[in-house]
Order: sequence, then C-alpha cells, then structure tokens
Amino acid sequence: MTERGGLSKEEIRDLFQRYHAAEEDDERTRLREQLVDQYIGLVEFLARRFRNRGEPLEDLVQVGTIGLLKAIERFDLDREVEFSTYATPTVVGELKRHFRDKGWAVRVPRRLQELHLELTKIVSKLGQDLGRSPTVPEIAKEAAITEEQVLEGLEIAQAYNFTSLDAPIDSDDSDSTSFADQMGQEDEQLETLEYRASLAPEMAKLPERERRILYLRFYKGMTQSEIADRLGISQMHVSRLLNRTLVRLRHALEE
Amino acid sequence: MDTINVKVPASPQYIGVVRLIAAGLASRLGFTIDEIDDLKIAVDELASYLTGTQGRDGVLEISFGVEDTRIEISGRGRFAPGDKVRTELTDFSRMILETVADEASLQQQDGTPTFVLVKSTRS
Repeated sequence: MTERGGLSKEEIRDLFQRYHAAEEDDERTRLREQLVDQYIGLVEFLARRFRNRGEPLEDLVQVGTIGLLKAIERFDLDREVEFSTYATPTVVGELKRHFRDKGWAVRVPRRLQELHLELTKIVSKLGQDLGRSPTVPEIAKEAAITEEQVLEGLEIAQAYNFTSLDAPIDSDDSDSTSFADQMGQEDEQLETLEYRASLAPEMAKLPERERRILYLRFYKGMTQSEIADRLGISQMHVSRLLNRTLVRLRHALEE
Repeated sequence: MDTINVKVPASPQYIGVVRLIAAGLASRLGFTIDEIDDLKIAVDELASYLTGTQGRDGVLEISFGVEDTRIEISGRGRFAPGDKVRTELTDFSRMILETVADEASLQQQDGTPTFVLVKSTRS
C-alpha cells in the first residue's frame, strides 16, 4: 500500500533529510512533490473509508492530501517511526474535521446511534455464546427491548452511514498490508467472479474490503457472521457494507 | 398457511417497507439475523427489477405466505400498459439469489412481471 511510490526505506529517509535541509523554495517544492507521490496511495486508501457519505472520492483525496502535507512538514526522522504510521492519524484527522465542519457526521439521531451500538455488541456477543447467528427474540431479550425495536434498529442502520461508528481506522499500516496480501491470493478467484458477473469495471472500482465481502459471501458461500469473524468487524457492519455494495452494483448495471 | 398482502407504490423508497415486513415475519418463524439479512437482500434484488432505480407509475402487490419455518414472498408489478419491465435476471443477480434464497424466480405471468421468493430457516 505505502510502497506504491516505489522508493526504498533508505531512499525515503534520504528524501526527508534533503527536504528538511533544503533552503531553496524550488527545491523544497520538488522534494515535497516526490514525497506526496510516494504516499498518495496511503491517502487514497484512507479517503476510501470516508466515501459513501456523499462526497466524491477525489475531493476526499484532496482533503486527505492536506493532512499528508502537514504530516510531511512535521515529520521528524529521529522519531524512529515509519512515516505512514505517523501520517495516518493526521490524514484521518483532516478527513474527520472536513465532515465535522460540514456537520455531516452527526446526522444520525442519538437514540438510533445508541441502539445501533447496543445491537452491534449484542449480536456479536450472542453469536459467540450460541455459536450461530442469533434470532430477533434472543436479541430483544438480551437488550431488554421489544422485537419490533430490534427489527427497526437493524433496518434503520442500513439507512444511515454508520461508518464512523464502527469502522476502526488502522493507525498501524501493517494491517492494511496483510489485508492487501490476502487479496492478492484471492485475486484469481475474484477474476472468475467478475467474469461470471460481467461486472468487471464496477467491481474494480469497489474498495478492497467490499470486493472481498462479495467474494466471500457469494463465491465462497460464507455467512455474514463468518465473514465478520474473518475480517474482524461486526456482523452488522458486514450486513451494511454488503447491502450498500449491492445497491451500488445494481445501479451501475441499470445505467 | 397465513397470508399477508400489501400494496406499495412502485418506487425504490418503499422497498424498505417490504423488507421490514419480510424481516418481521421471518423473525416470527425463528430466522436468525444472518437469514433475515439474506432474505432482505433477496427482496431488494427482486423488487428492484420491478421498480427500477427510478420507480414506475403503478403499484407493487406483495404477498407473504408464512408456514412453520418457511416464508414465500411473491411480488407483482401493476404498471401502465406498455411499461416494459426486464424480467430476465442478470448472471450477477442469479448468483446472489442462489446464495441467499432457497428459490427465486422472475417472469412475466399473464403479462404481469412477477417474482417468487422462498426461504426457510435452517436453525
């Protein structure tokens, strides 16, 4: 992911040293551009986590790039930490601020947010305890609410973009690396899926995680709960991502 | 078998209502959350063929039949004559439906686009 720019660690280190030492503005600009090129993949990766909120990805990448520039400016080589690890919170912070300033992150009524969080926890807990996906009455009992409230909570979650609530941002980029690695191994089978579905162009545009969920659900036949375990996210999150992806593909097919 | 009938405008925004009814009925039959989610996906997939992404003039007549552990949902699109609705499932839809439903079909029945969806709980 962060290696997209293709420079080795030593070369990057050298680039930062020259950047911080540079006195000529032209020189600084040139070096800064090289650093941005090197890490634009990281910005795109992080920006993708904020799509589905009504903002074009390109705009989000621009916002994220501001964060990247700030991080480049502040990065101290003596910190002994990878730049991508250092830059991630800054880029994410910039993206979050963008949404907070627009007031878009708080559109979900508080009551529903809380219900959603509560249900997410209970579905996971019961799934563990029972060794299978729970039923609505079981969830209602555990949450001490009515079955109708559970159903409403499950349905309503689809209508909102809860991404901010339950998509942990990886500050450690080793996660994303291993994720990309896993994707590599399954690429061949994904191609079969794409061929079969004749959706190749749209599939290619999907974030890796969404593609992977599609693959695991419809090609490997794993249940949503199993996928949740495998990817380390909640079943309800898998449910939402899957629904959203299908809606998106359906629209793409009709156009 | 108990039967529940609803009529909704043929617009994508009402598919959510149909999903919710399907989920409510399936829940009474003891479906798990995973199975309910699958059922909702199947409803979405099939009902979307009837409404299209933009909606159509007319109504969807949805009939839910419930018995023991099984739910059968049929949907008919009542549209203005000449409103052509595609009733051939894409490969992708077929793949989705094979995974999430026990039976799923879409066809013209007496000139009316009609889907049938069947799912039972395994738990």
